[in-house]
Amino acid sequence: MRILIVEDDLEAAEAMAKGLTEAGHDCTHGADGEAGLAHARDGEFDVMVVDRMMPKMNGVQLVEALRREGDRTPVLFLSALGEVSDRVDGLQAGGDDYLVKPYAFPELIARIEALARRRDTGSVQTLLKVGELEMDLIARTVHRQGKEIDLQPREFQLLEFMMRHAGQSVTRTMLLEKVWHYHFDPQTNVIDVHISRLRSKIDKGFDRPMLQTVRGAGYRLDA
Amino acid sequence: MPRIFRTAPFRLTLLFVLLFASAAFAFLAYIYVATAGEATRRTDQEIRREMRSLVDVYDRAGIDAVNQSLIQRAASEKPFLYLLLTKDGRRISGSIEESPVEDFAGQPAWATFQVTDMDAEGREVKHPARGLQQQLHGGEILFVGADAGEDEAYVARVVRALWASVALVVLLGLAGGLLVSRNVSRTMVDLISVVERVRNGEQGVRARVRGARDEFDELAQGVNEMLDRLERSMQGHKHAGDAIAHDLRSPLTRLRARLETAYIDVEAGKGDATEALAQALDDTDGVLKTFGAVLSIARLQAAGQAPNPTLFDPADLAADISELYEPFCEEKDIEYASEIAKDLTVRGNREFLAQALANILDNAVKYTPAGGAIMLRVRRRSSGEVEFSVTDTGPGVPDEDRERVIQRFVRLENSRNEPGAGLGLSLVAAVAEAHGGRLELSEGPGKVGEMGPGLRVAFILPRA
Repeated sequence: MRILIVEDDLEAAEAMAKGLTEAGHDCTHGADGEAGLAHARDGEFDVMVVDRMMPKMNGVQLVEALRREGDRTPVLFLSALGEVSDRVDGLQAGGDDYLVKPYAFPELIARIEALARRRDTGSVQTLLKVGELEMDLIARTVHRQGKEIDLQPREFQLLEFMMRHAGQSVTRTMLLEKVWHYHFDPQTNVIDVHISRLRSKIDKGFDRPMLQTVRGAGYRLDA
Repeated sequence: MPRIFRTAPFRLTLLFVLLFASAAFAFLAYIYVATAGEATRRTDQEIRREMRSLVDVYDRAGIDAVNQSLIQRAASEKPFLYLLLTKDGRRISGSIEESPVEDFAGQPAWATFQVTDMDAEGREVKHPARGLQQQLHGGEILFVGADAGEDEAYVARVVRALWASVALVVLLGLAGGLLVSRNVSRTMVDLISVVERVRNGEQGVRARVRGARDEFDELAQGVNEMLDRLERSMQGHKHAGDAIAHDLRSPLTRLRARLETAYIDVEAGKGDATEALAQALDDTDGVLKTFGAVLSIARLQAAGQAPNPTLFDPADLAADISELYEPFCEEKDIEYASEIAKDLTVRGNREFLAQALANILDNAVKYTPAGGAIMLRVRRRSSGEVEFSVTDTGPGVPDEDRERVIQRFVRLENSRNEPGAGLGLSLVAAVAEAHGGRLELSEGPGKVGEMGPGLRVAFILPRA
């Protein structure tokens, strides 16, 4: 995956590039907003990681400029500003996701991969299929090996999100944000319980568990 | 210029005295005109009456009878001035030498003139006088006048009284104004001195509320409340500084020690670096969470109000949060129940309110042992406020500590080992305050066997 990092903190950018390169991605770095814009115009990227506060041109201005030019590359905003209004501003400017600094690296990777995946699914799907698992988004039903699995509405949404990001790690924070739409970290791991309930429904009685726990990161649904 | 003359009340008084004096002057001027006019009218009436009676005498008995009558009347107590002239203007008789009426054309004519007289000490004085001149049927001309001196003196007395009262009004007004100003000034000086002392860094200074319930009391109260808030916030900041130092230092110290030990062990070739690093990451996350909470509280308190408030049904929020926490409680073998009133509306930032509720529930779950129960209630108080309350059957918080646990970073001694930065309830309190609401802690359902007495945390929002 080709990733553009626009970040004025060189050390942070280097650490990020190193981690992403080790994870098998190609990284390009722009040290300020203008450099970032130039890189974005030059090359094809799968995802851009853009810091909000930068010299010359801030992240919001950069993304607004790109969107005006018709560039739809997914953007993950990075920011030390974590308030609701900051996040809303970033998303309104055309950002696709928002991560508050400091972040855990697995969180960053999980979000970048989720963004890149989003781009692939251009057409509207009514049926999701991951291995033996099938989800009918219109009939609101889930089957594994042809057996119907009865899910609560929230469990359905949770599984839908996991299926859309099958094979990727998703973090607890991502689940809380994307499935429950809460943007805070509960002190207790409420998400784990919901996952374990879902797991008991889709994995119990089958020979192979699909819903995996990824240590230090979160969860992953494997085909 | 003495200070009192510069005070706003004194200046106001001056303005009012000026206004009042002008009004009084206009009023008195009217009285003067009315009085003086009345005196003239009375004189005129008397002159007319005298003239009529003399004309009667003339008509009945002729010119000689008039002369006779004039002689008698001139000797009476209040003599009129008389002058009888022939048809062509020669003097026949009378008490004055010539008529003050000029260019007499036969029609009755009025004249104002001066008469010269001697006063008691023999000095020559002039009196104003008025008179009426009329032609008799036989052609003779009769003039009847009257000394207006008496009336004039009366009018003069009225004028003197008028001036005196204007002076009195001004004096009394000034004196009253000074008195009022001094009173008001004293109150203001009190307030000003409070402001000045606070500016010089003094703490705990408060303005005196006199109990008069006037706008000065209101101001004093406002100032006091403002100072209370400022002082609380300053203490909050100071406390936060200390507490951050404390709460960040211990995990940082722990982190450093672990890394150091791990480093030594790994270097000696006997330790497991991975485990030490994982632990270090966990510790760092803890520090970051604390930092995030401190930042949120500081921002909320600095803003003083919740950002982007909307109107929504608290039942939806409670149901959402219940849905998030209920399975978690079941997992811990805690019975979870909710009692949610319908058709309520609250105004606020849904996200912050959700976080506040989540924090309260986090706490409840953390301290409630297996076999216990947690109850979430949403109801409308009789005051119209909307109350979210969470009751648990944990160990509760002793009465004397309840106020304290809401403050930043306070964790009770026996809960030191539980995870969490101790910021949970402080953040909730900050959210409540930012919504114009408050947080109330009270005892839960009481002691049942080993459990209890429990804690009831009520998050109260004002009427939407």
